[in-house]
Amino acid sequence: MLRSLSLRLLLVVACAAAGAPAVADVAKGEKLYRQCQGCHSIGPDAPNGFGPQLNGVFERGPGGAEKYSYSAAFNRAVKQGMRWTDASLDEFLTAPLNYIPETRMAYPGVKNREDRQEIIAYLKLVGPDGELPETEKVKANRKRKQPRPLAAEAEIPAHGVLHLGRVALPEEIAAWDIDIRPDGQGLPEGSGSVIDGTDVYESGCAACHGIFGEGMGRWPVLAGGHDTLTDDRPEKTIGSYWPYLSTVFDYVRRAMPFGNARSLSDDDVYAVTAYLLYLNDQVDEDFVLTSENFTSIRLPNEGNFITDTRLAEVKTTVASDPCMTDCFDEPAVVTQRARILDVTPDKDTDEGSSATID
Amino acid sequence: MYELKDQEGNVKNNSGKKHPRNAPQDAGRRKLMASAIGAGVAATSGKALAQTADPIITDVQDWNRYLGDGVDARPYGAPSPFEKQVMRRDVSWLTADPKSSVNFTPLHELDGIITPNGLCFERHHGGIAEIDPANQRLMINGLVDTPLVFTMEDLQRFPRENHVYFLECAANTGMEWRGAQLNGCQYTHGMVHNVMYTGVPLKYLLEEAGVRIKGKWLLPEGADPSHMTRSIPLQKGLEDCLVAFKMNGEALRPEQGYPLRLVVPGWEGNMWVKWLRRIEVGDQPWHQREETSKYTDLLEDGTARRFTWTMDVKSVITNPSPQAPIRHGRGQMVATGLAWSGHGKVKRVDVSVDGGRNWQHARLDGPSLSKSVHRFYYDFNWDGQPMMLQSRAIDEFGQVQPTKQQLRKARGVNSIYHNNSIQTWLVGNDGSVENVEIS
Repeated sequence: MLRSLSLRLLLVVACAAAGAPAVADVAKGEKLYRQCQGCHSIGPDAPNGFGPQLNGVFERGPGGAEKYSYSAAFNRAVKQGMRWTDASLDEFLTAPLNYIPETRMAYPGVKNREDRQEIIAYLKLVGPDGELPETEKVKANRKRKQPRPLAAEAEIPAHGVLHLGRVALPEEIAAWDIDIRPDGQGLPEGSGSVIDGTDVYESGCAACHGIFGEGMGRWPVLAGGHDTLTDDRPEKTIGSYWPYLSTVFDYVRRAMPFGNARSLSDDDVYAVTAYLLYLNDQVDEDFVLTSENFTSIRLPNEGNFITDTRLAEVKTTVASDPCMTDCFDEPAVVTQRARILDVTPDKDTDEGSSATID
Repeated sequence: MYELKDQEGNVKNNSGKKHPRNAPQDAGRRKLMASAIGAGVAATSGKALAQTADPIITDVQDWNRYLGDGVDARPYGAPSPFEKQVMRRDVSWLTADPKSSVNFTPLHELDGIITPNGLCFERHHGGIAEIDPANQRLMINGLVDTPLVFTMEDLQRFPRENHVYFLECAANTGMEWRGAQLNGCQYTHGMVHNVMYTGVPLKYLLEEAGVRIKGKWLLPEGADPSHMTRSIPLQKGLEDCLVAFKMNGEALRPEQGYPLRLVVPGWEGNMWVKWLRRIEVGDQPWHQREETSKYTDLLEDGTARRFTWTMDVKSVITNPSPQAPIRHGRGQMVATGLAWSGHGKVKRVDVSVDGGRNWQHARLDGPSLSKSVHRFYYDFNWDGQPMMLQSRAIDEFGQVQPTKQQLRKARGVNSIYHNNSIQTWLVGNDGSVENVEIS
């Protein structure tokens, strides 16, 4: 029996040398080790418990805990040449009583192979002093485990009323504050031509907005639609509706291309803005848009925006006592039915209507 | 006889599998037929309804006998499988891409005033940003004494408040300007929800940074790929805006801006910037994309109103409605709906069954809170004849919900936004309901 054990151990050692285990997250191993702590202490001056303390267990080898009374079976195994390797410890931890019958370690074993490897990796790192080596990662992990600093020692900032938050750094503000106003405030240095814009637009924009800004499918139309705002079906584009050019630059820079926001350089945004002006017949094909000439460009519909005048509408003026009875002479008649249009979803046919929202 | 067109369509479209809803629905239909037949018998012969014992009562049912799930089965509870049809739905033809689109609250399935978190309609412009709260930052910059950065931990150290507010998309009912189009209040009015928010009054954050005397406008900005921005007058920010991190007691849902959103009570939903990461103070509005090319209201003469922020007084009957027809016969019934005003409280709701010729006062029930939806009921005896059901809300400032004709006369049909007109449901004598327009 013992003979066969030693043979098996030799085989195991050979295999272990061939394939080093790919591990491991020390923090995870440390956490998994918590299940062992009831019997096996680790740490400076760790005492023996029901089982031996495990400081430097790999270096000292099996049976190496001072003042611990090992079982006879365990001592026999050590005499037969049992050593701790990745592989032998793995087999031992799988089911201790199978590996060394009659050992005192009654623990049924760690059944998950990855968990065993994490625990072993952790045990290998624990030095004879019971400490983990001060590698950066371990340091970080230990830092996390350290008790929070005392609340009374926290620094109170000087700013504000309640002294909360921290001062924003100039480079942080520059990274996020990219908004541009119609008066040009916020415009970055740079320039871009209609010609350059053609390339940017065709590679980044045309798939949705169409090569001439005509809009594919239900994607927004960007060009055309001049003098259609009083039509039955107005077409609201940059040229026909948008009041300010700054909005085009700002929006392209913050949100376009759809699915790849903030990927264009400032010069690319100048170029594609110039190209959109060209598509809307606002500039010639040799035009170059720059941070200097930007505010000289005015869009045609700027003057047609008015303030909110809803409260001045006759229908919404205060009417504290609306009619309650016989409010009109003839009974109401149905003039239109949604069923006729039949565009409500969850029917067999799910066809669109002309109305859109966005 | 009884037509359940919408519901059958729904079931069919749900992947063709047998829907758990089928069972109660079929039962409901059988019951309706039985009662209709019974009523017919009663009408012709004058005899009492034939009654056989109900096996649900006389037999021991499975759920009476066998044990169900334990407390460990549903650590985060979900609705009953019999409520599977209660869900947000979208209208795929409305927008180009589902990542910049909208879905709708199933108003006809709800009661009371609070919208459950999972049913609040969604509108985003670059998909749902998934943000670890440990990576959340809120910057205040611009015309302030000290530009600041707050973490979630910082924000939770400010005094916080709880408020119930409705959030309505300015485009709610926007598809109905030209005429009755969608059959269901979920689609015609479902871009509204009503939630209790927990958050920090924005004024505290602004005071912490110290707004300079020139500061008159705010620009909130989102962290999602659209980097959503809207100009808001400083006065509104100081008055009642919240920086909220909880809705209905739990963390904001990702689709509602987790971990942080702006709450702008009574004003259009687009301004309630989700995934809030920055608020800039300035002396002028920025005229961003969402307040120029969108969310401006084109009038018939070609001019367009801008900065139309307040959501005007509005109401809709949610039951009965096209997705929730009357399943019982004539006799006593309940009509119910929601009313709200971005100006304040709703003072009164009237209901008409004849298309607005005659009106009755409805009963407001539940909390009446400023800039929150109000629940109204109209309890009446239906004679089984067709009805043209309408509701009309009046707010505490005497603002009266207009008719469609009045609104079109004032604005034309190309405004898209701010359609708060009176809705008409045509109820057939079979109990079916349709979205219609009347003379």
